[in-house]
Amino acid sequence: MGSSDLEMTRGIENNFDDFGKNLKVLPANDQIKELQTILRDRNTTRSDFKFYGDRLIRLVIEESLNQLPFTDCKVITPTGATYEGLKYRSGNCGVSIVRSGEAMEQGLRDCCRSIRIGKILVESDIETHEAKVVYARFPDDISKRQVLLMYPIMSTGNTVIQAVNVLKEHGVQEECIILSNLFCTPLAAKTITKAFPKMKILTSEVHPVAPNHFGQKYFGTD
Amino acid sequence: MVLIVLMCVERCLCLFLVCSCFEQCVYFIIICMGDAAETGADFSEVFPDLEGEEERSGDFYNTPASPITVPHITRPPSTGSQKSPRSRRQRTTSINASTNKTVTDSLLRTPHRTIYTAGRPPWYNTAGQMVEPFVIGICGGSASGKTTVAEKIIAALDMPWVTLLSMDSFYKVLNEKQHELADKNEYNFDHPDAFDFDLLLKTLERLKVGKKVEVPIYNFITHAREMRTKTMYGANVIIFEGILTFYNPKVLDILDMKIFVDTDADIRLARRLRRDISMRGRDLEGVIKQYTNMVQPSFNHYIAPLMIHADIIVPRGGENEVALELIVQHVQTQLQLRGFKLREELAHSFVGQPLPDTVHLLPMTPQIRGLHTFIRNKDTSRDEFIFYSKRLIRLVIEYTLSLMPFKEKCVETPQGVLYHGKRMATDKICGVSILRAGETMEQAVCDVYKDIRIGKILIQTNFHTGEPELFYLRLPKDIKDYRVILMDATVATGAAAMMAIRVLLDHDVHEENILIVSLLMAESGVHNIAYAFPKVKIVTSAIDPEINDKFYVLPGIGNFGDRYFGTEPSTEHCQ
Repeated sequence: MGSSDLEMTRGIENNFDDFGKNLKVLPANDQIKELQTILRDRNTTRSDFKFYGDRLIRLVIEESLNQLPFTDCKVITPTGATYEGLKYRSGNCGVSIVRSGEAMEQGLRDCCRSIRIGKILVESDIETHEAKVVYARFPDDISKRQVLLMYPIMSTGNTVIQAVNVLKEHGVQEECIILSNLFCTPLAAKTITKAFPKMKILTSEVHPVAPNHFGQKYFGTD
Repeated sequence: MVLIVLMCVERCLCLFLVCSCFEQCVYFIIICMGDAAETGADFSEVFPDLEGEEERSGDFYNTPASPITVPHITRPPSTGSQKSPRSRRQRTTSINASTNKTVTDSLLRTPHRTIYTAGRPPWYNTAGQMVEPFVIGICGGSASGKTTVAEKIIAALDMPWVTLLSMDSFYKVLNEKQHELADKNEYNFDHPDAFDFDLLLKTLERLKVGKKVEVPIYNFITHAREMRTKTMYGANVIIFEGILTFYNPKVLDILDMKIFVDTDADIRLARRLRRDISMRGRDLEGVIKQYTNMVQPSFNHYIAPLMIHADIIVPRGGENEVALELIVQHVQTQLQLRGFKLREELAHSFVGQPLPDTVHLLPMTPQIRGLHTFIRNKDTSRDEFIFYSKRLIRLVIEYTLSLMPFKEKCVETPQGVLYHGKRMATDKICGVSILRAGETMEQAVCDVYKDIRIGKILIQTNFHTGEPELFYLRLPKDIKDYRVILMDATVATGAAAMMAIRVLLDHDVHEENILIVSLLMAESGVHNIAYAFPKVKIVTSAIDPEINDKFYVLPGIGNFGDRYFGTEPSTEHCQ
């Protein structure tokens, strides 16, 4: 069972180009693999889970911010020399999908101290398994902003599709949305890239098994 | 060839005999005491150190890792061959600042800053190679005044980073029978067999090549070594004193300068009597029996013949100012010949060559460029400077951890399937920050690696010479087994980083286990480090092309530490 899973994983990792250029996977290194391993290990303690989860979140958020638009600029350094740097446009905001998306809010706050953060609550119907938005609260001018949508685990992609639909209803352009995600299944990747081809997606891993215990273990409600 | 110099110093008639003996030039200084000095000897001359001889508090047992500053104390009682239970004589010391130097001597006050000057200048060249410390051996009979001579030399040298090593630390551990003999005053502590010459030689050899050593602490009550040891490191001058320092020919080879302290047997006996009877409450009979049976015969058999190896013979021990002056002059000349001007040379080498393979540069993403834009901008407020540099530091540290070795690991998931992942192949990682700017990176290391040990090294640039100087270090004791993340915020010429790497190597850290991590490096600094230490991994988020005449990187960040801690010289006051 284990070895066939491994082969499947490898096959998928090599082929995520199938999902289009807007799906980006965090540049893989051993360090990130270790974080994923710890998060997936059932024997990981809650304290470790939160510690390493926060680290992975921070890396994903940092990488997501790379997708934001910027302009070149020059600054003078204390030594009197010129440094050719760049400047990000203001007018970004974060939106987290309750509950597990909120785990990523602190990571975003650590990078952008005073960023505005909206929230969406999506609940699935117990019988039909259909995702339904029951609560949404955004900054007023969200239609003019770049939106960093945060949701760590995607297995079917239904929740995210509902959330993006709400954002679009509020006038947000599809190309202005960046989805930050930790773990994504190939199914979810396919569904979302098909539904919103212009939305940018950033994840740390595409793997057929989603660690669905993330929210429960992170918040300690398991 | 014999040269005789006659000198008259106050009441003393001094006779210098300088003769060339085989290949080595041997100086004999024979100083005959004038009548007045001999007859009018009062107690203060024979027992120059009666004051403050109360048992020292045992605080040196708690002495921290090397190097430490040992408060200057008057000479504690010599223990001779019978070791009293109360003899806690601290003769093995390692000091990093001249003890009699007042605080103000080591301070320079400019209108806006205070600069401390007591660091250790570079002890290696641009290729990272060592310069050997100068080793002085002091030999002489029991109670002849060896330690006084050593202390006077240290005081007169007036320089930091001197190590005083005593042969007392290397007494052999006694077995039960020997222990009984020792209790009856019948164990001969003055015989060469009483010393562990193997350990002694090993220790001296390591000190000579600049390595850290663990010197045993000998307990004279149990006649065994204490569990703890004294860590010694970083000496430019090593003074090795004891009754049989010239006995072992291999030890003799290590000594750069050999001093024999020759004090009259009567005076030595008088000092011993005084010490053993009044200080340790022993009876006259026992002391004399021990002296005549063991101390005196040993001196005649083993110690006195060693005089032939001496470069200088100092009569009357520590009171002999002329001899001490000559010794100090010679040491200073020798040290000057070994000095280095490091930074100047570093700043101008390797311009325009391709980057070495050991450099790991973070991929220049828009975020990293954006962060650099904030922290390089001279108009960025400190609040923002701290925030954005912290973010950048975190990214650099995360990247550093990804360079560690990893191994495959298969774990069970709550979803019931196995997951083939990876775990770090080592759990021995520690951080070492180069004060002050390197400290800003400690928090990030602690944030990404649970319970990591952090060492510190303080290196500051000498205001006059522009050279880096080592002031302080505190490292985990078993650091040699660790992978070390060495942190400094910026690297310009690489002089401070090289000094820190040299310190780690001297503590037996493997070169390939060192990662020097910084936010910004100058190209020449990268080359200098890579050239001197080709196995050290270099991690940084940006490499700038130039260094200005003040050794700041261009375009650079400015003085990172000053900007982060808010200690930049106030421009308002200047204007």
